[in-house]
Amino acid sequence: MTATDTAARMLDRGVTPERYARGWHCAGLADAFRDGKPHAIETFGAKLVVFQAANGEFGVLDGYCRHMGGDLTQGEVKGDELACPFHDWRWGTDGRCKQIPYARRVPLRARTQRYETVVRNGQLLFWHDPEGSPADHDLLPPELPGVGTDEYTEWFWETVPIKGSHCRELIDNVVDMAHFYYVHFAFPTSFRNVFEGTRATQFMESKGRPDKAADAGGYGDADMVLTSEATYYGPAYMINWLEVDYKGFVTEVVLINCHLPTGPDSFTLQYGITVKKPEGLDDKTAQYIAKKYAEMFGTGFLQDVHIWQNKAPVQNPLLCEEDGPVYQLRRWYEQFYVDVADIAPDMVARFEFEVDTTKANEFWHEEVAENLRRRDAASEADAPLEGAGH
Amino acid sequence: MASFVPTSEETLADQRLYTAGWLTSVSCQDCLAVVGVQKNSAHHTSIQWSAEALAACPEMGRRPRELHAGCPRLQASIEQAVRAGQVPIGAGDGF
Ligand code: FES
Ligand SMILES: [Fe+2]
Repeated sequence: MTATDTAARMLDRGVTPERYARGWHCAGLADAFRDGKPHAIETFGAKLVVFQAANGEFGVLDGYCRHMGGDLTQGEVKGDELACPFHDWRWGTDGRCKQIPYARRVPLRARTQRYETVVRNGQLLFWHDPEGSPADHDLLPPELPGVGTDEYTEWFWETVPIKGSHCRELIDNVVDMAHFYYVHFAFPTSFRNVFEGTRATQFMESKGRPDKAADAGGYGDADMVLTSEATYYGPAYMINWLEVDYKGFVTEVVLINCHLPTGPDSFTLQYGITVKKPEGLDDKTAQYIAKKYAEMFGTGFLQDVHIWQNKAPVQNPLLCEEDGPVYQLRRWYEQFYVDVADIAPDMVARFEFEVDTTKANEFWHEEVAENLRRRDAASEADAPLEGAGH
Repeated sequence: MASFVPTSEETLADQRLYTAGWLTSVSCQDCLAVVGVQKNSAHHTSIQWSAEALAACPEMGRRPRELHAGCPRLQASIEQAVRAGQVPIGAGDGF
């Protein structure tokens, strides 16, 4: 068969969904909301208000007052309620209006959109469902033993607004074996996916590329071997357990990768890092290591972001035999965008994908060796270097 | 209620092709599970379970919730089916 037999393939950009995914979403570190003030968060094409009541409970409500639309994020926490800046209506964490200081009684219908909350691993999570179902606590991410105690450093937490791409681009990473070499400058030495129910997992081992170390950042340090297990718990919250072996010095890192969809082609990426304090190291050093890893994985995310912001959305990716299961992952992801009654059995059925990356790596190692040869030759000739990999 | 709506019929065909087009049924030698298997190459395997297959597999029923490992008996059955030439390796021109 020759190439001329085939018609040119069209990119199907598709239409992004009008709704936002059902599931647990993360507002950020719970401590960030403990100052007794209302906070605004943009998500689901709206503005929400987050506050902690005097009784310690967290409230996540729609940002606009149901009376006359006052901006609750500019209100004031008064006792267990959030007071609107316009006419002082008091809203409880359960979404009900508790009192109207100037009125004889509160209208029975005075209830606003509220999101159920849970504090998990030091983060404030809230449940979102366009169908309005009660929060499903069985779908929460697991508690991380030791995290939040003296065994681990504090969370390093970063927030990065992303414009110009749907958050599914971020999800696609779960199956994208080859991009670790090209975008993150690491050899994936083993790769496995398992999807089942509301979870999607990636297992990966990788090693940094020696031809990129200087400018790599992220995963690209040649002296670094990563063993990574990363699971999405629902559509928007991933826990990534990492064992980082740097020249024989092994560190256990927990990386949270979560996001809030803000619009049809924008989202807020959030990531958090905590590191198990290595034996025999003082807290300051451990904190320093955690900060370094936070920067490193931050660089990794920025490498992705650059791709996302410049790529086209593709409903019909063209795959080769070495690619990961993109279509199966997207089928899994689809379950969060349809009504519960419309979840098809194959969206949640168990699926396993495993590849021995030897073949791809043989090619990549050759390419890297060639890059190193050129670099040496170029530095001998003292001439500027054109990288083969670009 | 579709979410990411494809704008072409061919995309739907691609979705079917890539998720089911190369699946071969393999029965477990030790239980009643029947799964779909795809081999893109000698060193790759995809396993598509169904709810029925999962329920039939005692190994998967026994595993702790967090365990992601597959069923070793099924894996042995797949390897045997591959050795017997019952599972095509590679998609030919299909990909
Ligand atoms: S608009 Fe909020 S109290 Fe009137
Ligand atoms: Fe990536």
